[in-house]
Amino acid sequence: MTLGFPFGLLALAAVPALVAAYFLRRRQPPRTVSALFLWRTPDQRAEAGPRLNRFSRESSLALEVLAVLFATLFLTDVRCGQGASKQHVVIVIDGSLSMNARVDGSTAADRARTEVARIARDENAGVLTLIETGVKPTLLAGPQLERDRALSALEKWNPAQPAHDISSALTLARELSGSSEHRIYFLTDGPVAESVVMPPQFEGRSVGKRASNLAFLSAQRRDEAGFAQVTLRVGNFSDVAASVEVRFVAEDDAPQKQTVKLQPSGTAVLRVGFKTDKPITASLPDDALAEDGQLTLLPSPLADVSVSLLESLDPAAQQAVRRFLTVAPGVKLTVPATLTFGPPGSTAGVQLGAKPPLKSFVGPFFAQKGDALLDDVQLGGVVWTAGANPPGRVLMSAGEVVLISEEEDGALHLNLDVSRSNVQRTVAWPVLLSNVVRQARMSSPGFPRKHLMLGEDTPLVASPGSTWELVAPDGQTRPVMGSGVLTLPPLPATGQWRLQKDGKPFDALVVLPLDPRESDLRSRGAWEIIPDKPQVFASFATAHPRPWWPLLVVLMLVLLDFWLTASPRRKEATS
Amino acid sequence: MTVRLDQAMVERAAAGCALRLPRGPHRGKLGEVRASSVGSSLELHDFRQYQPGDDLRQIDWNAVARTGELYLRVRQDEVSPRVEVLVDGSASLAISPEKAARVREVAAWVCALARRGGLDPVVIATGSTVRKAGGPAIRALLESLDFDGREPFDVALRRGPPLLPCGLRVVVSDFLFDTPPDPFAMRLARGASGLSLVQVLDPEDLDPSGGAGARLTDSESGEVLERILTPHVVDQYLARLAAHTSLWQAAARRVRAGWSQASAEFNLDVLARKELNELVEVA
Repeated sequence: MTLGFPFGLLALAAVPALVAAYFLRRRQPPRTVSALFLWRTPDQRAEAGPRLNRFSRESSLALEVLAVLFATLFLTDVRCGQGASKQHVVIVIDGSLSMNARVDGSTAADRARTEVARIARDENAGVLTLIETGVKPTLLAGPQLERDRALSALEKWNPAQPAHDISSALTLARELSGSSEHRIYFLTDGPVAESVVMPPQFEGRSVGKRASNLAFLSAQRRDEAGFAQVTLRVGNFSDVAASVEVRFVAEDDAPQKQTVKLQPSGTAVLRVGFKTDKPITASLPDDALAEDGQLTLLPSPLADVSVSLLESLDPAAQQAVRRFLTVAPGVKLTVPATLTFGPPGSTAGVQLGAKPPLKSFVGPFFAQKGDALLDDVQLGGVVWTAGANPPGRVLMSAGEVVLISEEEDGALHLNLDVSRSNVQRTVAWPVLLSNVVRQARMSSPGFPRKHLMLGEDTPLVASPGSTWELVAPDGQTRPVMGSGVLTLPPLPATGQWRLQKDGKPFDALVVLPLDPRESDLRSRGAWEIIPDKPQVFASFATAHPRPWWPLLVVLMLVLLDFWLTASPRRKEATS
Repeated sequence: MTVRLDQAMVERAAAGCALRLPRGPHRGKLGEVRASSVGSSLELHDFRQYQPGDDLRQIDWNAVARTGELYLRVRQDEVSPRVEVLVDGSASLAISPEKAARVREVAAWVCALARRGGLDPVVIATGSTVRKAGGPAIRALLESLDFDGREPFDVALRRGPPLLPCGLRVVVSDFLFDTPPDPFAMRLARGASGLSLVQVLDPEDLDPSGGAGARLTDSESGEVLERILTPHVVDQYLARLAAHTSLWQAAARRVRAGWSQASAEFNLDVLARKELNELVEVA
């Protein structure tokens, strides 16, 4: 028998109080009367009779004491038998990709599962709360899920998190444990960084093992005119040099192999080309961590951007823009267009021109740092002739004159008189317009990027009026909330994610299992930390409601007591 | 324990009054009250024909002259009837000093009335022991009465001497015992020419105070009963008391006995003029 809330035993203090109250009631002021029989109802017996009779008169007290005892049982949340085993154990498991490293026939994740089962058995756990660390900690099971169901959920667990800070997961575990005094387990595959402060109630240990590993460190695919060029960086996370054969497979082209020699902790870049517009797979020989040795790169051709020029645009400006468009890749002059150039005051997305009074600047130019439109735009030696200030958020200015601004609806103002400036003849001009085109390309629906590294935020453009859904590699569907240019949190699983528009496939991207910090298994191995408070135990489960039968017994006793005490009054009234 | 009896107050209450005796013939020592037996008093009782053996001195010669037959004057004895005062000495009569004093005073008052009428009072008091006294010893008996009886009056009387035939029997008690009234009343009336029952009650018996819980203890048996003395409970008690008293009154009527109820709240002077005036007749 265990007590879920031992403080409930304080209710027993009511017993002496009840007995005292009953005793005081028994000791009411005495009064001698001439004829007691005149005070007695016909069915009443004298209370000062034989011992057994006297005891029977105390049945009310006995019932009330029993009621207090059962109320105490309820308050203390007493549990017997199986109920006593409902311990709640909180376990934090490292969700990093390196937990998949297979050494000596088993992965760290398998050993973690075994360890979780052992802890649950040793702690006599009835319910478990399993938390996976990650960029954003997630609940693998629970809170307070039945042990078997929690262990079953753990079987489906596939750790795929990049290197991350575990502090948020530890904080979540402390909150879910119910008290800062309860012991919490933490399983990982290697020593925790010294910068992480382990709370005193944590008992941590490593289930990882040191191993050598070869891994892709980065990958890039560029598709142009039906030709795909793949660039990979391979790393050797071992203490010995290795000669590595990298295999490339395209569905409609011949597979290729490249062998590269890697020094200890060395890296090498590989570049291959395929005449294909299908996915290309790159693989390394099997090693400890297979996940970082297998890549699938989706075709990522540059999307065409349609551009049009309004007739009202200044001829000099038209000429300058056309000169860029003739050399810019993935740009088509069509009507209607995604990107429209026009004069100031028009409805064009890019309004190029200056209204009097004009003023020329050779510098200094003040640019909004970090804005994608001004990436790599160098204005050295530039003469910029601008007119009246355009509306919108200032992106670049010279003195008190706004040179580039952007309105809330995305309309871009280039306050530039091309005929009196030399910007269009400098390198800044194509860079600036390339950024404008890239911005337009990025705002087209779908995934702007087809390949994401592990743990990277996911950019997504969803047009309003349609239903957008993401389909995970395991087939699970999750809706996309919002529209426009969105940035989703890192996708939780590696592999191919598909984007559906109104239930139909629309786009896809691949989350690449690449993280050099996770691929380096040489730092993995034994690690253990014992709690500073060894006396603490797992917390008691609260998921199961406390048993109600003591309360029912209390109710019955109270009713019986009421009946016992009220029945003489009823008979008295009747008589 | 001896309690001084205010004999002066008793005599003052009895002044000018005489004990009301029953009209029937009495038995007793020679005295002034017509006896039930044929005797030699001067008062004529009846005439009858002479029969051989009769006292010739009692022949009414006038009647012989008128009728020519021998008629005899029948005369009755004149006796001094015996007055017996039975005093309940049970503990319930002493639940308050006033009640005990009133019992003593009433008994002494009856005795004083009897003496004033030339009668011979005898007091029989129950209690832990049953005592009997007559003449001057009555006062000592009443003053030393402890009211220590732990049993009902009728049970206690059985322990005493048998009740002798008497002229008048006065019973002073509170009659608050759970005994059937009729048999006991018949027993009290047996052998007595007249019977008077005087019930002396304490104010707390007549109108108990309520409003709180109380551990009620029977003064004789020691039995205990806890009750909250709500108005309802007190009303129930009063109803039972009234019913109990009615039973005794009915029993008294059936044996042609008098019934008086005296509250210990009033002193003997007041009681003698009001509640107990059935016992007396003004001289």
